[in-house]
Amino acid sequence: MFRTIGKIIKYPRLTLKYPAKPMDSRFFIGKPEIDQSKCNNCGECISRCPSSAFKTDTGSGISIDLNRCLFCSLCEDVCKAGAICMTDKFELASRNIKSQTNPPFIVEDRNLPQTDFEQIGLKIKNKINRIFGRSLQIREVDAGSCNGCDYEITAVNNPINDIERFGIHFVASPRHADMLLVTGTASRNMELALIKTYNATPDPKLVVAVGACACSGGIFRDSYATRNGINTIVPVDVYIPGCPPRPQAILYGILKAIERL
Amino acid sequence: MNVNDLKIKMIELFSDSFMYSTELNGNELYIEADSGNIRDLCLQVNSNLGFPLVSMFANDERQLNGNFAVYYVFADRENSLALILKILINPENPIFPSVSDKLYAAAAYEREIHDMFGITPLNHPGLDRIVFHGNWPEGLYPLRKDYDRSYKPPFDKLETRFSKVEGEGIYEIPVGPVHAGIIEPGHFRFSVAGEPIINLEAQLSYVHKGIEKLSEDESIEKCFYISERISGDETFSNSLAFCQAVERAAGVKIPERAEFSRVVFAEIERLTSHLGDLGGICTDVAYGFAAYQFQMLRAWTYNLADQLCGMRFLRSVNKPGGLRKDFIEGKQKVIAEYTEKIKKELIDTVDIIKSKSMFVDRVENTGILKNEIAVDLNAVGPAGRASGIRHDVRKDFPYAAYGKLEFNVPEHGNGDVNCRMNVKIEECFEAISLIQQATEIMPEGKICESIGDIVPYRFALGMTESPRGENVHWIMTGKNNTVFRYKIRTPSFCNWPALCHAVKGNIVPDFPLINKSFNLSYAGNDL
Ligand code: SF4
Ligand code: SF4
Repeated sequence: MFRTIGKIIKYPRLTLKYPAKPMDSRFFIGKPEIDQSKCNNCGECISRCPSSAFKTDTGSGISIDLNRCLFCSLCEDVCKAGAICMTDKFELASRNIKSQTNPPFIVEDRNLPQTDFEQIGLKIKNKINRIFGRSLQIREVDAGSCNGCDYEITAVNNPINDIERFGIHFVASPRHADMLLVTGTASRNMELALIKTYNATPDPKLVVAVGACACSGGIFRDSYATRNGINTIVPVDVYIPGCPPRPQAILYGILKAIERL
Repeated sequence: MNVNDLKIKMIELFSDSFMYSTELNGNELYIEADSGNIRDLCLQVNSNLGFPLVSMFANDERQLNGNFAVYYVFADRENSLALILKILINPENPIFPSVSDKLYAAAAYEREIHDMFGITPLNHPGLDRIVFHGNWPEGLYPLRKDYDRSYKPPFDKLETRFSKVEGEGIYEIPVGPVHAGIIEPGHFRFSVAGEPIINLEAQLSYVHKGIEKLSEDESIEKCFYISERISGDETFSNSLAFCQAVERAAGVKIPERAEFSRVVFAEIERLTSHLGDLGGICTDVAYGFAAYQFQMLRAWTYNLADQLCGMRFLRSVNKPGGLRKDFIEGKQKVIAEYTEKIKKELIDTVDIIKSKSMFVDRVENTGILKNEIAVDLNAVGPAGRASGIRHDVRKDFPYAAYGKLEFNVPEHGNGDVNCRMNVKIEECFEAISLIQQATEIMPEGKICESIGDIVPYRFALGMTESPRGENVHWIMTGKNNTVFRYKIRTPSFCNWPALCHAVKGNIVPDFPLINKSFNLSYAGNDL
């Protein structure tokens, strides 16, 4: 007993201050960016990318579809011209699937101002109060993932990230949920379960696609047993790219989803 | 005994039943047999020589020799040898004799072969579907080479059979596929009388994504990324098994520094996984304090991984031929600090939980997996070791730098949740020590060797000890450095049937606890 209390005193608070304070992201691997001025159109990255994430039809050089990107760093390694580099940007959630194809030279700003977090927190609380009544309830559905994304969602819940402090809870049944957090490509055997879960969730509801698989099918695209992303089955409100997205990226995505309601 | 001795022995024992044999990659002996003899041969190898069946798969070799082939992989764990029996099957009449009635471990593999290739094991005791559910139409076999991998057939509505237990007062509890927690999908049917579970049937494959088919005809490089995504929390050991298979097929020896670095990462992964399981066990007995302690420790290991390579799940760390970068250089201090910190805290936490009699009460004698059943089903990893199967791929088939480092394989025999937990606790300490040893004695030098061009249609096994146990991958290369066939057998595939046995006789509320003590991967099983 005394030792238990000793530990509790020793580790009073583990929770990170994120998003009130930005993460120390120096060593993170986030989204890749292309410097068009260095690119010599050799096409090496396009042919080697394991997830076929490169797009050439945007009119102004090549671009990367973040919904497909696995953040694997291969393009950075194979680009002889040194035009691609992996950045530490991990807050990538967006509402529109189109906007994920980041046009060259535009570096996205952090959409959440870091300074007045408290105000945003208040706003979110108000929104939650108005729309959902007191708190946001989330149901997680694994619709064919590799379990990487699921472990990261578990981590959102751990004492380090502790999502409950925003009034957000994970619940056991879709009937109690306001938001579905869906991972995986929507595999053939999970299609029906996903649709049933969606229908069982009362309106108004939000659907958040977590990870490359859920956003676009990721590396498992075009198989006999998978769909290319869950938006082929259910309407999606927010996409969180990454393979898997880190817990903070998921947290950011959830906050963004509520903010946009 | 080396591979030649094994060959001589095999010839002595069974000279009349095989046609052709070849040794490959140092310790793999391939023997081609006639399908008329295979049943006898398999049973003899298993019972007389005592080699367990560790993998079994089919291959569509019609473009190469006009036939389907079925491979049976047996492991001689004492001598680090693999014995692979092969039969050819005429595509006009795709049948082969089942061995499952005697060799129980083969049952699931044979059903898988039936689903994916349409090759029928004759006289199989329970040939139900395993990969496909009722929505998959009859007569379509995706792993045959002439199946277009992106063809999604229309949904069918066939009935799924579950075994029924009947009697007074017996009822069924169906659970899943979407569970209450944040967990992967699977459907469980409990037959219960009052509280105790009489039978449990698990219907899995909800997350079947067709990984083996997706790998075919893809470049080795792309397959490597696929192998990393077989099961998220076993990223490194799966990709390592794939890399080892490729390196063996290519005949490449990786630099020593890469060998030691691989140990570091593989052990970080084991530590992360085990700490998560320990936390899960505590959560499931509602011991919040301990659960948070373990979650904190787990978060520290993730931080360590993050600081070394920028990826919490150790993705893009491996590479066929070595490692993608020298991630350890300059980080030795970080590793030393983290491992010491984790070790200290772990010792305290383990002390505290073991002195809690209420906690020990819940885990002791719960969910016993008997040794005989574990052996019959080839239970692997911590689950096998808790039931007295003292094997570990790191010792039996030493890979990376494990042969040069010191560590113990825990020994337990009661097969209950407590034993599995203790195995994991002891392995955490071994993992910490291995990380420290490896970083300390790691030589300087190159980190990656080029794989070069691999001769088409070479094949090789890659085996690793993932956090959940023995991991067996087999690849056959194709033209232009592609993969012709990639067979993945993760430990979860062996341990799921074992779990279904371990819960029998326990009460339903203990199921989550027993399940957590095995902590099997659905994704790794379903592929
Ligand atoms: S990081 Fe990997 S997946 Fe993403 S664009 Fe580059 S090569 Fe493709
Ligand atoms: S996005 Fe990546 S980590 Fe997430 S489920 Fe898919 S493969 Fe796994």
